[in-house]
Formats: sequence, structure tokens, C-alpha cells
Amino acid sequence: MITADVAVVGAGPAGLAAAAEAARHGLSVTLLDDNPLPGGQYYRQGPATRVPDGNRGHPRDARARELLSVVDHPRVTFLAGAVVWAAPEARTLAFSHAGRGHRLRAEVIVIAAGASDRAVPFPGWTLPGVLTAGGAQNLLKSQGVLPGRRALVAGTGPLLLVVADSLRRAGATVVEVVEAAPIRAWQALPRLALAPGLLRRGLAYRLGLQRARVPFRPGHTVIEARGRDEVAEAVVAPIDGDGRVDRARARTLAVDTVVVGFGLVPSTELTRLLGCRHEWQRARGGWIPWRSAELETSVPGVLVAGDGAGIGGVETAVLEGRLAGLVAAERLGRGTGAEVGAARGPLRRRLRRLARFREGIEAMHRPPPTFLSLLTPETTVCRCEEITAEQLDAAVARGLPIDAVKAHTRATMGRCQGRNCLGTLADLVARARGCGPADLAWPRPRPPARPVRLGDLLGEDLPPASGPELALP
Amino acid sequence: MSPGVSPRRGGRAAGVARGEAFELRVDGGRVPAHAGETVAAALLAAGRRALRWTAGRGEPRGVYCAMGVCGECIMVVDGEPGVRTCVTLAAPGMTVQTQHGWTAPEADDATARAGGAA
Repeated sequence: MITADVAVVGAGPAGLAAAAEAARHGLSVTLLDDNPLPGGQYYRQGPATRVPDGNRGHPRDARARELLSVVDHPRVTFLAGAVVWAAPEARTLAFSHAGRGHRLRAEVIVIAAGASDRAVPFPGWTLPGVLTAGGAQNLLKSQGVLPGRRALVAGTGPLLLVVADSLRRAGATVVEVVEAAPIRAWQALPRLALAPGLLRRGLAYRLGLQRARVPFRPGHTVIEARGRDEVAEAVVAPIDGDGRVDRARARTLAVDTVVVGFGLVPSTELTRLLGCRHEWQRARGGWIPWRSAELETSVPGVLVAGDGAGIGGVETAVLEGRLAGLVAAERLGRGTGAEVGAARGPLRRRLRRLARFREGIEAMHRPPPTFLSLLTPETTVCRCEEITAEQLDAAVARGLPIDAVKAHTRATMGRCQGRNCLGTLADLVARARGCGPADLAWPRPRPPARPVRLGDLLGEDLPPASGPELALP
Repeated sequence: MSPGVSPRRGGRAAGVARGEAFELRVDGGRVPAHAGETVAAALLAAGRRALRWTAGRGEPRGVYCAMGVCGECIMVVDGEPGVRTCVTLAAPGMTVQTQHGWTAPEADDATARAGGAA
């Protein structure tokens, strides 16, 4: 059993900021991350982010260096490649690291698990060459690698413009950017103007595309990716506010890459595993953990900071991380309520501004409620178990709840544990019942929250498998 | 050149000072990589996109989320199947194999032989 004053899960902006504040107040911190390097998605490190003097850093942002240096703090133990897979008892996390299983007990647990791209299935979306906007951005900005040469960028939300810009700067041709929402910019402008920095950046991306003569088409979506062993073409078509696709006006584009970004979903598997109460907030990505003003969940001693508590972006994540670290310090007798109060001010103001900006974005930018209209019977919905829309529909038509559809079809039971398909499955069940996804009972998360090797859990090397594989019928 | 590699598709962005250069052994061929790159990034840079074939319908899959969430980019790395190449740093001497179903095809043969002999 490893013990620490504070356990922080996730070494992105929120987790790094939380660890920094806790360590600054004399607390011992164990910081865990699934990735080989700290930084999370926003400060993901790679060949393209190295700074000349060789120290950890990030050319994009001076703050990155300060945040990333936390992993060298004497009171911080940073474990890269650590996979947290269970919460076996109060204030305790089980994780695997370097081929061994461990338990970590801490007085305060800060979950800063971040977010990932919302998976939206459409015909051909499993072909190599179709990748998420977040993933493409990682490859371009931290690895300096092009995922392809001729790309369609499709989906909804401001990240589309960002990734199109990154692709173009790296030398790829962006054939088109299709945005599923109709854009009503003028009526949203007053609210957008409340966040002039974000607005300016958005306009700069838009102008950059215009100058490069990249068509930007609101009210359009990708409906299919085609190719034999990888993407060779993509089909786009108009889509209306209810998600109806006008297939008569479909066009085929020759591309080798389709970058899809349909918004972000908070990673809540750990807060759900810890038994925290969640609420549905569509605008912040779906299920999010309920939190007090001090970022504490319904489970005492468990705090959540950053996008994992609802999509808010990097600025919010850093402020929340700092606040979580200060709250931990105060709880453990190292900090003061005054410090916590002082940190809460800027966060509150930031969240208020962000909420108004988000309202502006939403007023301008109302994507269809679901993208179920993109499914054909043969479309793979569950990538891991290779379950099609037709198979799911057959189970859903029998009136089964999500859990039973899962048990009948094996959807959500593969390697990604439903991260890619559970949302679509919930949408299908909700549509059949004429309700919203939040009105349904969602499956309880079960350990392991992420795939871990049995040998890691047993603490020994298992012999390799022997004997022929049995073919399943 | 390794099977499936096409320099026309992937590539590395210009103007990046990259670390030490080395090669990965991929399906018996060689793919260039630099220190700090993930296995998936090195393969994409070489234009290699289908990284595995599924167990059920035998479909090709490649990098999808590129952040360790989806498990689509798994390959057999240094003999171990199911390794997420998007969060695995490339290293000199590393051996990477296309994953077919749950394992590499060579391992399938070896397993079948071992099973037949047992």
C-alpha cells in the first residue's frame, strides 16, 4: 500500500495545478497518469513541443513550463503509464504501473481525468484514416506528424477550425470543413463579445481558412467514409437542425483522411466508480459529477477538477486544479480558508464569463440533438465488439433497457468499455422510448475501469497462452 | 520499406527539431522513428495506417482517438499483443507487428503448433 496526503489522477492542466498547490503547502502528492509523459491533451509533449534548452516545456505557452515542472517537485511522486482501474475502498485507488498492481491510500483524492472526443458512428468511420479532432490535434501539435495529406474536417464545434488550421500549417490540404450546426453568427455576437480573446482566436482561424480558400460549410455533415483498407473518399451532405440528412444533395470528395470532432465528453468512469452522484448537463458534455463550491463530490474527500467535471477548457481547468490543491491543503491543516476563498474569486468570475460565452456559442451554433440519422443498418456502432446498428436496433425494439441490450449484444463490453458506443446506445434506447438519455438507467461502471493485464494484478508473470484459439460461432 | 508504408500519405511537419533518429522493426521491414515519438506517430509519418485487423469481421483498423482511450491502434509490440501504440513511445530496437485478432499471425501459427503438439 502506497500512502500520500493527496492522490491526483490525471497529469493534465488541472491535475498538474492541483499537485503544485498541494505540494507548495507541504503535502505529499502521488500523481498518476495513463500517458508516458505529463501534460494531458492540451500540454501533450512530443518532439514538436521540445524547447531549445532541453527542459520540459511547451512552445505554445509559458505557463506550461511551470505546470510541467511539478513532476520534479521533491514532494510529488509522478507515475507515468499508471492505469487506475478500481476504487476498492474509501480513499483508496487500485492501479497498475510498470507491470505490477498497487494500491494508493490518500486523505484527499483529486480526479482530473479530462475528456475525450464524442464518438459519432457513420458508415465507414472504422476505416483507417478516420480519426478524432482531439487525436489529430495531438499528432500535429505534439508529434509534428501528419495523419494524412488530403483531409475532410467534419463534425461540430470550434475545435474543427482549430484542427483545420493545424492541418494546413503542417502542410496537409484541407479539402473542406463541414459543420453540422447552422451558423447564426450575428445574433450571437453580443454574448461572444464577452470573451473577446476567444472570439478573436475563432475569427482568426476562420479568416485563415478563408485566405487558404478552404470552404467552410455550416449545416453539412460527413455521412460516409469509403475505401478498401483505408479512406479513399468521403461523402458529405446537408443536415438540418433536427438531424435530417438531404442525401439527394450528397457530394463525394477524394480524401485520404477524415478528421471528426463532434464535441467532447467528460471522462467520468472514475467518479462513477467512486460512487459520486452525477447529473446530466448536455451543454457540458453529458453526465458530470455533482460538486460543492469547493469542488468536492458527493463522496467526502473526493474532489474533481477540469474537463472531467464538465467541459470548460484549459483556463478553467488550471483555476479548478489550483482550487482543488488549496482545498486539500486546508483540509489537511496546511492551508487557510482565506487562501481557498481568494482562489475561488477568479474561478467564479471565469466560470461566469465562460457560461455567457458558451451561451453565445450555443445561440450561434445549435447542432442536431443526435446524429442517429447517419446510421445505416450495417454501420458498426460498437467498434470493439463489432456490433452493428441493425443488431442494436433488434435488441432495442424488444423494449430492453441499456443494460440488457449490452448483455444481449456485448456492445460496450469491449476494450474501450463503452467509451465509444455507450452514448449512441443510450440515444437509440431513448429514441425508442421517446425520452431523453438522462431519463434512462445507465449501466454501472465496474472494475477494471480500464484494461489491465491479469499478471499486473496478480503481481506475477503469467505464462504465455498456449493451445489453439477457439473460434466463436 | 515495410508493407503498407506509403510516403505519399503521412509525413512529418517541417521545422521541428527532432530527437535521435532510429528504426523500428515493423512486420519484418523498417520504419524510421525519432526519440519522443509514439509508435503510432512514427507509423503514420511513414504513411502506414491499417495497424490491425479485427477478430470478428477481419476489418482493418488504425489510429482513431490517438490519446489512449479507444484501443483501436493496438499492435503486437516486442511480442506483447494489445499494446496501444498511440501512448507507447518508440524505442531503438523495438519490434512491432500487425495484430490480427488477438495476436500476430506468426504467433497464431506458433500457438497452433504448440497446441497441436500438446
